[in-house]
Amino acid sequence: MSQQLPEVLASVFREIPNLVFEEQTARRLRVKLRPDALPALLELLKGRAGYLHLSAISCVDWPDTDEFELVYHLWSYEVKTLVSAHIYIPKKPGRYVSVYDIFTPAAFFERDIHEMFGVYFEGSPDMEPFILTEWFGPPPMLKSFSSLDYVEETFKWEQYSPDWLKEIEANGGGIVE
Amino acid sequence: MTTNIPIKSDPNTDIACRTPDMEERSLLRKVIDRIADRCRSRSLFILHYCTGCGAIELPPVITSRFDSERLGIQPMVTPRQADILLITGYLSVKTLKRVILTYEQMSAPKYVIGMGSCTINGGMYWHSYATIKRLQEYMPVDMYIAGCMPRPEAIQQGFLQLIDNIDKGQAIAWQDYYYQYDKYLGNQQALFGPDWHTPTDVIAEARHYELFSENTIGEHTALLAKFASKYVTLQCEELVK
Ligand code: SF4
Repeated sequence: MSQQLPEVLASVFREIPNLVFEEQTARRLRVKLRPDALPALLELLKGRAGYLHLSAISCVDWPDTDEFELVYHLWSYEVKTLVSAHIYIPKKPGRYVSVYDIFTPAAFFERDIHEMFGVYFEGSPDMEPFILTEWFGPPPMLKSFSSLDYVEETFKWEQYSPDWLKEIEANGGGIVE
Repeated sequence: MTTNIPIKSDPNTDIACRTPDMEERSLLRKVIDRIADRCRSRSLFILHYCTGCGAIELPPVITSRFDSERLGIQPMVTPRQADILLITGYLSVKTLKRVILTYEQMSAPKYVIGMGSCTINGGMYWHSYATIKRLQEYMPVDMYIAGCMPRPEAIQQGFLQLIDNIDKGQAIAWQDYYYQYDKYLGNQQALFGPDWHTPTDVIAEARHYELFSENTIGEHTALLAKFASKYVTLQCEELVK
């Protein structure tokens, strides 16, 4: 699999144990690895292959396996291949290490994930609310959070059911939840 | 009620001070109000709060394409010098806070236009945990312009209607904020927490405008005494009672 990989990338991946290639195209590489190996991978990518740009960290909530998936998207202007590194961490306690010391922009991504998913990043400079400063509910991006229920109990709104809509609904159409 | 206002005049001429009776006075007032309303409706400044997507329809409305200046409507940069607060779409809880602060800074009479379905009943963002659904729960709204988003023609039509309402003296929703302050504050507190307050002493303003009613204060404004005594000092003892 790794034949088509640029040598510099292949040499980085050889150093990381238990690394799985999940998908590979010319410009994109999706790898899965153990959480404790991620900081090492980022360091190596940055140091050897010119991966200077951490473009995003995304988070996925997997309710079935009770895990958070964290995805680190990295870009190198030399290799020109996007590397997405996937790790899975248990939802409880939902803690992971910050990569702020490797990539400073990580501070914002981690702060955002912290308020949207409740993942705590140890060593991140600021875990204060970022966007949801007027928020008293649970982290809203969790799958267990029902936006509909929250809206119903928090906001005032008006039930709107005009005759023309009832007609459509009688014929099996209308608003589908 | 009849008091003579002494007029300083040349003692040689005999101008007695006449006391207008109540009916006449209210008639006079009506005429003056009518003139004032008409003048007011011909020169309006809008403060556009453009966090919603509908804001993109405003540049053609205000600039040469549809040119709202024909109607005497111009954009203004600060709330204290504006007549109309134009909310151009969805408001998140966070921006609503800023809108309320802005609204309270505007000098009366002030008019609020809610533009787009989002301000009417949540619109496309009804399912969102972050946006408010009905603007009128948090501040009195004079007019809604329906649509997602309304075309510039519709906005222009809305402006014309508002001008007409002001001209006829019907655009008095702003008074409701003083009459029903407790209700509005209660709805705001439900979102921002019980310690929510603004630096504006709305209750004192209500007294000043003679728009104080029994609904101006209540259980929600009582919390102001606890959390905002710095701003509503005058009413504190009264509120605690
Ligand atoms: S009404 Fe439509 S155009 Fe206006 S803010 Fe809502 S979604 Fe956007």
